[in-house]
Parts: sequence; C-alpha cells; structure tokens
Amino acid sequence: MTNDGELKLRCEGLSKSFDGTHALQDVRLELPSSGIVAIIGPNGAGKTTLLNVLTGFLRADTGRFFLGQIELTRLQPHKIAQLGIARTFQDLRLISQVSALENVLLARPNQKGEHLLPALFRFGVAQQEVENHKEAMRWLRFVGLEEKADEVAGELSYGQQKLLTLACCLASEARILLLDEPVSGVHPKTIPEILSMLRQLREQDRLVVFIEHDIAAVRQVADVVIVMDEGRIISRGRPSEVLERPEIIEAYVT
Amino acid sequence: MDYFLHILVLAMVYTILAMSLDLLAGRTGLLSIAHAAFYGLGAYTSALVAVHFGVPFVVSVFAGIVVAALISFIVSLPSLRLHDDYFVIATFGFQMILFSIFNNWMDLTRGPLGIPGIPQPVIFGWKVDTHLEFLELAAMFTCFAYFVVWRITSSPFGRVLHAIREDEVFAKALGKNTLYFKATAFAVGAVLAAMAGSLYAHYITYIDPTSFTVMESILVISMVIIGGAGSLWGPLVGAVVLVTLPEALRFVGLPSSVAANLRQIFYGSLLVIMMMFRPRGLVGSYGFSK
Amino acid sequence: MIPEMQYVVNGINAGATYALVALGFGLIFHVCGFFHFAHGGVYALGAYAAYILTHELGWSIWAAMPCAMLVSSIAGGAIDVVVYCPMQRRRATPLVILIASLGLLIVIQNCLSLGFGDDTKSISEGTVSEGYLFLGARITPIQVATIISLVMVFGAVGCFLHFSGFGRKMRAVGNDPELACVFGVDSESVVFLTFALGSALAGLAAVLAAWDTGLTPVMGFKALLGAVVAVIVGGRGSILGIMLGGLLIGMAQHLVVWKLPSQWQDASVFLILIIFLLLRPQGFLGKPLRKVSV
Repeated sequence: MTNDGELKLRCEGLSKSFDGTHALQDVRLELPSSGIVAIIGPNGAGKTTLLNVLTGFLRADTGRFFLGQIELTRLQPHKIAQLGIARTFQDLRLISQVSALENVLLARPNQKGEHLLPALFRFGVAQQEVENHKEAMRWLRFVGLEEKADEVAGELSYGQQKLLTLACCLASEARILLLDEPVSGVHPKTIPEILSMLRQLREQDRLVVFIEHDIAAVRQVADVVIVMDEGRIISRGRPSEVLERPEIIEAYVT
Repeated sequence: MDYFLHILVLAMVYTILAMSLDLLAGRTGLLSIAHAAFYGLGAYTSALVAVHFGVPFVVSVFAGIVVAALISFIVSLPSLRLHDDYFVIATFGFQMILFSIFNNWMDLTRGPLGIPGIPQPVIFGWKVDTHLEFLELAAMFTCFAYFVVWRITSSPFGRVLHAIREDEVFAKALGKNTLYFKATAFAVGAVLAAMAGSLYAHYITYIDPTSFTVMESILVISMVIIGGAGSLWGPLVGAVVLVTLPEALRFVGLPSSVAANLRQIFYGSLLVIMMMFRPRGLVGSYGFSK
Repeated sequence: MIPEMQYVVNGINAGATYALVALGFGLIFHVCGFFHFAHGGVYALGAYAAYILTHELGWSIWAAMPCAMLVSSIAGGAIDVVVYCPMQRRRATPLVILIASLGLLIVIQNCLSLGFGDDTKSISEGTVSEGYLFLGARITPIQVATIISLVMVFGAVGCFLHFSGFGRKMRAVGNDPELACVFGVDSESVVFLTFALGSALAGLAAVLAAWDTGLTPVMGFKALLGAVVAVIVGGRGSILGIMLGGLLIGMAQHLVVWKLPSQWQDASVFLILIIFLLLRPQGFLGKPLRKVSV
C-alpha cells in the first residue's frame, strides 16, 4: 500500500471512566504515519482502554479521534478495521476449532463470497478463494507458521497462536497494526523473531503500535515510546531518552 | 401405505424447518424461538393469496417468501442488538406477538377458525394430488433447502457466520459487519421456514393457528438440538426421529391425547439429557457454548 | 360501579399475581444468572398439590397453602441439585441451561396433563362470593388476599435481602459470584436455598391464582411469560423493580381491554417486553446487562 503521509492516527481529549475510575483522562496523541511505536506503563494505566477506544470497541466519554481527515469517533469497530486499522487482543482471540489457514482466510478483506448471492451462485468466488489462499499462505510464511497451516488453531502453542493473530492482522492488509502485548508469555527464543518481523513491517511502510511490559523488547525496536500512567500520557520520545528519566522509573515502581 | 407417505411428507417439512433453524442457531449461534411464526407466515400468506386471488402455487410460495423476508428484518434488526439468552427472549416475544396476530386478527386470518379450502398445487400443468406426488414435491423443497444451507455454510459467508458464533469480537476486529451477516442469515432461515409453511398449507389444505405456536418452535429447536446443531445431518436426524418415533406410539394403541403428552415428555426429557451430557446432540458439532 | 375503576382493580390484581411469580423467578435469575423456565412447572406443581389436598383430602385452603409452598420448594430445590448444579460444575453457559430448563418445563406440564387431564379444575370452596365494592369496582376476597400477600411478601423478602446475613450473601452472589467466593461464601448452598425460597413463593402465587381462576396444566407457562416480562421490565436485582414490573404488565393488560378488543391482551404484554429489551434492557431499576467484554 502506498504511504499516504496524511493518514496519521490522532486523538484529542479522550476520556473514559468506569464506575468512578478514570481509565483515560484527556489523552492527546498524534502517531507517525509509519514506524514502530511502543506504549508502556504500569497495570491500570489505560493502555488497553486506549486501544479499545481507538478501535471502536469502547466509546469514549469525551474526545475525538481521526485517521487523517476521517473522523473515527462514532464508528463501529468493523468500519474502523475496514479503514486499515487492525488489532490483536490481550486474551488471544481466534477461532480455535478451525485451522490456522482458515483463520487467516477469514481476515482477507473484500471477499465477494461474503455476500449472500455470490455465496449461493459462486460467480468468481472460487477464483478469489484461490488468490486469498495464496495471500494467506504468504503471511503464514512470514510469521513462520507455514508448516502449521492446516493444524487446528486451538492446538497450536501459545506463542504460535500469537504469531497467528499477527498473520491475521497482516492478511487484512491493514496499514496500521495495534498489537496488545505481542511478546508477553512467548518463549524467550521466539522473541527476537517477532521483533525482526516488526522491523520488516516498518520497512513495508506500516505503522506498528504495540503495548508491552518487556522493556528490553521496547528498547530494541521502538522508534517512539509513549508512557502512560493513571489514564494520562506522561512522557513521549525516543527510547534512549524516555527510558532513563527518573519519573518514568518511579511510575513503574510505585 | 398412504399413511406412511404422509409421515414422510411431514418429516420433510420438519427437516426443512430444522435445517433452516440450524443455519441460525447451529451455525451462527442465534437461537430463535420465533421459527414457528415464520413457518406460519409462509403458510398464512400462501393460503390467503391462493384462496382469495386464485394464484398458482409458485406465486403463492413466492408471496410467502417475500412476506417472511420483510417481517424477518422487523424482528431481527432490533433483536440482534441483544446477546445470547436475551436474544432468545426477544425472539420469544416476537413469536407471541405474531401468534397473537394469527389468532386474533379475525378479519384477515379468521383466527381460530383457520383457513379451509386451500387448493392443492398445480405447477405448470402438474397436478399434485396424490400422496406420492406430494412426497416428490416435498423432496424437491427439501433438496432446495439443503442446497441453500450447504452453499451458504461452505462459502466465505458461512466462514464468517461460524466466526460470529465462536467469537463475534474477533470477527468485528477483522472488518466484518456482523449485523449484516446475522440479519441476512436470519432472513434466509425465515424464508426457508416460510417455504415449509407454504408446502404444508397446500398439502393439508387447511391451516389454523394451533400449528404455529411457541410449542411448535420449541419442537423444531428440539429437533436441531437432539439431532445435533451445526451439521448438515443433525437437523435431518432430529426431524426424522421426532416425527416418526411418536407415530410409533400410535400403533401401540394409545389415545391421541396421551400420545401427544408422551411425545412432548419424550423430547422434553431428551432436551434436558442432551444439554446435561451431550449438548452437541446425536451427530452435531456445536454445543451452544464457547 | 365505575367501569374504568374495574379495569384498574382487575389490572392491579393481575399485576399482583404476575409480581408474586416474578419475585421467585427474579430472585433465582439475580442470584444464578440464568432464566429458570422450569419455574413455571414448579408453580403448577404447587397448584396441583393444593388441589389434591383440598379436593381429595378435604383440607381447607389455609392448611393446603403452606403444604403447596413446601411441595414447590422441594421441587425447585430438587431441580437445582439434580440438573443445574452438575451443569454449572461443567461450566454450562446460561443459554444451555435455559434450554434444559425449557425441557423440564415441558416434561412437568405434560406429566400434569397425563395425571389430571387438561380441563380447568378449581379449588374454591362453596359459592362464589360477590365481593366487596371498593371505589366503584368489585373486588373478591381472593383478590384482596392476593394483593395483601403481595405487599406482605415483598416487604418480607425485601427486608430479608437487605437486613439478614443470608440475604446479604444472596445479593453478594448475585452481584459478583467470583468475589463472593473469595469472601468465603458457599455459593452452591446459597443458590440451593434461593431455589427453595423462590420456588416456595411460586407455590404461594400458584395457590392464589388457582383459587381465583382455577388450574390447568399449562398455567405455569402463562405465569412464566408474565414473570419473564416483569423481571426484564423491572430490572435484575431489584425487588421493587420486579413488583413495579408485574403491576405494569397487569395494568397494561387490563387497560388494553378498555380501548382494544380483549384478545390483544397477551400481545400487548409482549410488546412491552420488546420495547424494554430494545430501549432499556436493564429495566426500571436494574443493573446494566452484562456486555461482551473486550
């Protein structure tokens, strides 16, 4: 996909509270159009809440957010996804009874066969399925799951399932990927592979935004680090600058 | 022999009902208690159109399809905003309202008196008036319903329905407009149920509201669950079992009211036992849980 | 005689009956989180127990009532122990339990039909009294008893839930079962006793309804429909809400008769259900429905 410098994801004044807890407080953010951005912060800082609001799964109490000139604030999650913003979930969401390949095929956009009449009469659907099959295998190869394509998703290891969700995001041809803890819980040997995948995505002019607790991983790949605490963004900048600041270290300790 | 053919025709009508409900409940995870209402909409629309306007069978079936599709959106679009057991309750409410219309709108449906004198089908010169011919017609309808359900479930559309059943949030995150998929599946189910209704109306040539009550919906649900949800054979097995086994009771010589009670006790108990020990049913693949 | 007042009185009476059935159903729904459709069966069992006691054994209604409540209570408790408990241990979802519950209701109703026949039986004693004149409308002693029971029962249950230790445990399990567990509340026994209590209330409501209008095997199903609507309209977790919900439905049913032909009574109740489900699923006073968490 071509890099349209105008299509930046940005938000202003986002606030959300639950039963008196302020999960997000007046969050203002502009993300670059490509690169790797890490969001860190202690538990309860509002990172996942921010992700849920930006992908339409939670409605903010106040504030707005945009992709370029398009306002996303009141859009349904599927509409936001169709605009090229894909995401993963903290508790791995997948269709566990079908194969890895089926999961990735599901992610493919603009499928004719997903409409009723083509499903019944199948004009051109078979051909598109063949193309989608090729694309799906390409992304499974990218994440290193080519061998496991026909295995039932529920029987893959935790790390493999995480890679599968990444493959799904990529197969959807999203330019912006919002990943919720892509390396946590994964075997330490697999982490460098995942990080190298993220770097390749940057080279493909995509924007990867990920939430993580693993600071070493953040140091290795992120161009920009955003630190959140108690629903606010308290710092932002290059990893080398941000991660040394005393108040950041303190936010993690307290 | 005629009696045996009659049972087979009924088994086919119920197979269509069970298969179309399975598309909703077994494949998409939408357990609707309103299925009997759509069965009734097809039957009543066909009956009224045939009796008052003398239209051919094909037209009366088509009329039933159109009415069922329209009403299905009125029911589904509000109800689909609710999930799981609340969705079930909403469809339950619509079933009771639609039944009330069948039973009380005397000017249109003649209420409890029913509509007699529905003409037997004539399809491009073929007069369907023997049991054997009805069996052939019913078989055609059943094959059609089977074809529709098979095509849908084996297509990318069906892939999304399955995803909605298992994890609707995941489907939405992948850009699928899940409301569109659910409403469309609901409409297809309603249309197939209406076709079963049209077939039934022209076969028995008399209909009244008692064939389209909430208990009828529950009977169809039982067929899907006992046979097995989420499979192409399950609803067929369930329909055949629940139509034929109680008929066997008749041969034992029990009075028909007792047989009716025993039949309901039979499938009521099976529902409990299945849900406790084998929610997937006899040959199904979906147990209504995640 | 003011006809409009008659509708109001009839409406309140019908509403009181719905509210009593809904109370038991609503308690179980709040504490356990699923729709216990078999409540309708437990209800009918209580009515038929009272019938046997008064008709076959010649007991008075006032003696039969507590026994009927006991029968219902035992039936409800048994259903919990034999069916629901094992299912919940196997982590069955509310939908699966709803289906099983529906199956139980069908079995109970048909057994009653086999045992007693489908005709309407009655348990009233002697002649039908003309009733008292109240603000221009006729109200029979049975109807008075129903309304008084409503107020007393709701008052008692409300106090019990808010002021007694067990009542607090019930509310805790209903609001947050996992947290209650952490605090050492034995939810299985709380649930069992909730079933016993809720079912006893169903028995009471059944006897009053049977006394007023007679009994049939399908009376439980009809009462259940009203209970479901009342609980959704009133809101999960609110006793006052359920009472208001029941009264609203009763009133709506009878006021409908004022303006529309009486056969639309039932449809109007379900229309109210649909409206609430769509516009205010948490009912008048209930908590918001569980949403799908992300």
